[in-house]
Amino acid sequence: MTILFYLIKKVSILILVLIITLLVTIFLLGSTIDKIMVDNIRLQVTNSLSDSISENQRLNQLQDPQERQSIIEKQITIQTKSLGLDEPWYSPKKISNSLIQIATLNLGNSRFFTTNEGSSSVNELILEKLPNTILLFTTSSITVIVIGVILGSYLAKREGKFSDKMVAGLASVSLSVPPWWFSMIMIVLFSYLLQIFPARSTPLIPPGTPGYFVDLLYHMTLPFITMVLIGFASSVYYTKYIVLRVIEEDYIKTLGIIGLPSRKILLKHALKNAGPQLMTMLGIGLTATLGGSILIEEIFDWPGMGNLFYNAIIQNDSPLIIGLVYFFTLLYLLTRLILDLSLSFLDPRIRTGEE
Amino acid sequence: MNKVKNCLKNYKGGILGFALLLFLIGITIYTIIYIPAKERLEWNNPFFWINYPKNAAPDWVNYFLIPFQQQLPEHKIYSKNDAVISSFSQTDFKEVNHTFSYEFAYGQFPSGFSVPYTLEFGEIPPAVEISVKRPDGLEFVIYYNSLDSLPNVRDDIQGKLTNASNQQHEVSQRVFSSSKEVTDSLMEYGDLFNFSLSDLPAEKIVFSETDSNIPLKGSYQFIFTTYAFDSDTILKEINLIIEGKVFGLLGTDEFRRDITFGIMIGTPVALLIGITVASTATTIGLFYGLIAGYKGGKTGTLMVIMIDIFLSIPTMVLFIILSLNFGNSLLFLIGLFVLFGWPGLALINRTFSVQIKNYPYVEASKLMGESDFKVVLRHIIPQLVPFTLANFALAVPAAILAEAALSFLGFGDPSFPTWGQMLQDAHFSSAEILGYWWWILAPGIMISITSMAFILIGRSLEHRAKLSKKQ
Repeated sequence: MTILFYLIKKVSILILVLIITLLVTIFLLGSTIDKIMVDNIRLQVTNSLSDSISENQRLNQLQDPQERQSIIEKQITIQTKSLGLDEPWYSPKKISNSLIQIATLNLGNSRFFTTNEGSSSVNELILEKLPNTILLFTTSSITVIVIGVILGSYLAKREGKFSDKMVAGLASVSLSVPPWWFSMIMIVLFSYLLQIFPARSTPLIPPGTPGYFVDLLYHMTLPFITMVLIGFASSVYYTKYIVLRVIEEDYIKTLGIIGLPSRKILLKHALKNAGPQLMTMLGIGLTATLGGSILIEEIFDWPGMGNLFYNAIIQNDSPLIIGLVYFFTLLYLLTRLILDLSLSFLDPRIRTGEE
Repeated sequence: MNKVKNCLKNYKGGILGFALLLFLIGITIYTIIYIPAKERLEWNNPFFWINYPKNAAPDWVNYFLIPFQQQLPEHKIYSKNDAVISSFSQTDFKEVNHTFSYEFAYGQFPSGFSVPYTLEFGEIPPAVEISVKRPDGLEFVIYYNSLDSLPNVRDDIQGKLTNASNQQHEVSQRVFSSSKEVTDSLMEYGDLFNFSLSDLPAEKIVFSETDSNIPLKGSYQFIFTTYAFDSDTILKEINLIIEGKVFGLLGTDEFRRDITFGIMIGTPVALLIGITVASTATTIGLFYGLIAGYKGGKTGTLMVIMIDIFLSIPTMVLFIILSLNFGNSLLFLIGLFVLFGWPGLALINRTFSVQIKNYPYVEASKLMGESDFKVVLRHIIPQLVPFTLANFALAVPAAILAEAALSFLGFGDPSFPTWGQMLQDAHFSSAEILGYWWWILAPGIMISITSMAFILIGRSLEHRAKLSKKQ
């Protein structure tokens, strides 16, 4: 019963946040979107009228340009009305319409951007970039956690030694250094001075060609190294902290007294019990990097969603911005939900709501 | 024993943090006293920086280049007082020479030179000529202009023509080494060089050896000559600017701005943002968390759900969307960071106040009939003060980093230049690809130092803060 309640609570918060974010977005960009759509209709109507010969002939008979204009205007008003564009964006009907449209992924077309195939559909644009973002950020987050667990549980045994102090210092440093600035420094180091990796991480060969994936991985190396470097110290530091707290517990101490080898205790018992907290750490890391991806992808020119978002903002491409906000929020919330749920399975105390 | 050691270790971090903070406060005080607010606004004004070199590295770079004999030229500005004046009167005109001596002893070419001058003249416009005498004896005339076509003298960017009252005209011009006149006049000396001069910038010809295109060290003379045809011609101002490749403590950027200046005026702004946001957010978080924790029940749950909602919002995305519409104001950014800063702090304070609420002495005082307000004020808040101080210190870097990130995306307040904005300019000019490391390094280090100072102080405060169960 409680787990169901927990699930419902989490999902309803998720939906609420999604709706709030979208409402804010519509509130901020709604009027621009309407203007774009009316402009599109105007263009369409004028084009279709001049394209169809019969209409053209009819129009040519009307010598008076004013009369001709009024026909076009009439067509435009009919079309805008049928799409509900005559109402202001803040009318309740309009807002609910927009919400449903976005929720059903009816995101329209981008104004300036196209996919590699030449489609300007927002959905296709995002779906093209999404795998790259996921590829870079999940691999680096997981690497960071793996390094953290290995080094952290190793350092837990050498509390107070030099290596331990160094990691604590590094963790403080990596928390105060802006990751995107560190990325710029890495580019100066590896692309300008040493010239090992390209400064621009978008592969030069188009996707689909045989060597594309290898080239993509090669271009991914520098952003990947950067993100691992920026993240690993605090990951090690927190793992050490978590493992130390578990090791202090009586049941672990008992195992030591029984005579189990300390490595076995660490791997089999301590890490297992530190699991939920490590999971939380992974979650915080993943969601934090997702927000930071906008800057990091832009700096490395990595062909992901963050980079697209940045460019959409620069170009003020409203349909694309709304679509990306939706996807980003969804991705962020889903990550959180999955983590919350798996946490509640790992640690039953959470779902019962006991403190 | 171990405890003392631990304590000392914590203090060490705190002391380092405090030292960093003092350093930042020192810069802030210096900036506020010595750089007037008006001058701070000049950051985005290109004319203010026109006499500075472009993309110059910090001057201490030269110390590392001494062993390679590749020192970079320093920035030199000569004013009218540095010139040696000589004049000759001919039958129908008067020749006045302003001679500047420039000692060139560097392993690389300077990145250009420019000669701004202001002339006042009467009826007949004079002619001006700039020539260079090189250490090897060669003399080049690099610029000649008879200012006859009067209304059209606005040759260069700075070209400005004003009409003085008594028929005196004043003309201000700036001759750049990159201007077409200079390169064209240098082409005529092509025979003297053993290599092709085409496509070479003027400074690489003037300061070059004739055999190969390497710098020729020695003493150069820049001679600015006016040929006046009446007695009304006065040279009011003249400068010779040899653009160096090193400048100041931290160098300059693509827009010729002095990075040291930018770093300094960025310090008060960063501290202002960080401290305002952190103090407001911790105060709100403290009271919200207190009420949520102390009240409990339905109100408490509702308040926690509210926090949950705030914490689930992807802040970066929302920041960007909001800044897109209301951005470019410092006050707005501060409000935004407060709005999304307090929930996390409220959650921590709530957990604590739930814990304290159940301590025996609190329950006892409640049983004694003390009002809720008094219990909170006398028993809970004093316990939370050390934690709140630590939270405050730890909230400062979050605000500073967020401001830097938003400024980097171009949502900064242009009337308050910040380190984030400097980095944005650097990224926009592709500084990381062109290798202008000084432009990137300094602002980022300042952001890191500021965050670091508060993180270290916050950590050491956090270590020492403990809930006491007795009172």
